[in-house]
Amino acid sequence: MAVVEHGGKSFEVDEDGFLADLDGWGPEWVDYVKELEGISELKEDHWKVINMLQEYFKKNGIAPMVRILSKVTGFKLKYIYELFPSGPGKGACKMAGLPKPTGCV
Amino acid sequence: MAERVTDIGPPKYDKFLPPVIKDNYGKWKYHEILEPGVLMHVAESGAKIFSVRGGSGRLVTTDFIKDVCDLADKFCDGYLRFTSRNNVEFLLTDNSKIAGVKAGMKKLGIPIGATGHSVSNIVHTQGWVHCHTPAIDASGIVKAVMDDLFEYFGSHKLPAQVRIALACCLNMCGAVHCSDIAILGIHRTAPKVNHERLRHLCEIPTTIASCPTGAIRPHPDKNIKSVVINEPRCMYCGNCYTMCPALPVFDAEKGGVALLVGGKVSNSKTPPMFSKLAVPYLPNNPPLWPETVKAIRKILTKYAEGANKWERVGEWVERIGWEKFFEVCDIPFTFQHIDDYRWAYDTYRTSMHFKF
Ligand code: SF4
Ligand code: SF4
Repeated sequence: MAVVEHGGKSFEVDEDGFLADLDGWGPEWVDYVKELEGISELKEDHWKVINMLQEYFKKNGIAPMVRILSKVTGFKLKYIYELFPSGPGKGACKMAGLPKPTGCV
Repeated sequence: MAERVTDIGPPKYDKFLPPVIKDNYGKWKYHEILEPGVLMHVAESGAKIFSVRGGSGRLVTTDFIKDVCDLADKFCDGYLRFTSRNNVEFLLTDNSKIAGVKAGMKKLGIPIGATGHSVSNIVHTQGWVHCHTPAIDASGIVKAVMDDLFEYFGSHKLPAQVRIALACCLNMCGAVHCSDIAILGIHRTAPKVNHERLRHLCEIPTTIASCPTGAIRPHPDKNIKSVVINEPRCMYCGNCYTMCPALPVFDAEKGGVALLVGGKVSNSKTPPMFSKLAVPYLPNNPPLWPETVKAIRKILTKYAEGANKWERVGEWVERIGWEKFFEVCDIPFTFQHIDDYRWAYDTYRTSMHFKF
């Protein structure tokens, strides 16, 4: 497994750049993914999505369905894509340090 | 994101239609199969279009695509299409050029056929070429089976068309559940649990919910965030592995082929049918899968001998009865053939009618 260094921290990642060790998450990780994702500046709304994903995952053990993410944050899918160009799965979940989405994606 | 173009959809289909199809769109009178692999459609206006159909491996190189394009340029004013079974069809208006197209196809190794009561191309999947959940390969088995049944591709000697499909796992991508003969990859061992990695890789509730038989539950030790599999409940579908990479299920020795028969999608004569289990297990035996090839030939030839004209495999089996089918095809009937999943009751015989 590859290890990336960013902001003085190192992160173990899989081949798609998802955190291989969920406990390794930290704000430096968000900063690292931000660059990969082409996000120039992290706004409050970015953090609203990231926090929601993390809380939901902690409570339920799964990532929320897109409809639930939209409903809780009040952000339409279109706006979520504006925040995270790769979308809620590849973009936001990766940033939030959730496991990689599975199934026939 | 600069200069990114999105949501433009595919190019409109009519951009690529030969002029004769454009002019006679929706105004066709009848068609004839002139010979195996060659069709003629005649429009109300009297205009005609000829199509020469040939097999393709589906998994092809760009060189192959360029070759067929060259051929289409040479004889068909650049027009060709691919069918829903991944055959290639050259479209032309001048029937004096059919011979040229056919010669060109032969030179490229493209067999001509797949029309009428033939064995057309095998609808198949990724196998070991690209997927991570297969129990068997796709391209390899398809090549072996089509080599063996080649005589049925370019001829019309069967009672009706026989659709063969392959899926390399129970996800059944494609058409195995509704084909005359279906080749399906199955596992015969339960997934192994990587307790160490599971919590980092998987959503545990999703993994539990993915199991059709309820065989997965959370690890009894609260400190271990993982799952356990109740093996007697597991039927090795591999669904949990699809959801959770920490539950690998493939076992090279134990995985293999199941054959299903009697499915169809058309509504002609009888309603569409699902295919049903005929052979529960044949070994994974690359590169030629001889057991699978042999079993399919046996079913096909018994069907060709026994079926009436126009009768599909499923219709033939229903007419003679399943016990007769197992007898003529010499397939041992085992406990695996008896449905035991949820709605199984409807598949049992609730009648005195049967043949000794
Ligand atoms: S049938 Fe299964 S293994 Fe084959 S391509 Fe589909 S999902 Fe992958
Ligand atoms: S392989 Fe299928 S039946 Fe077995 S535990 Fe996984 S999901 Fe359940």
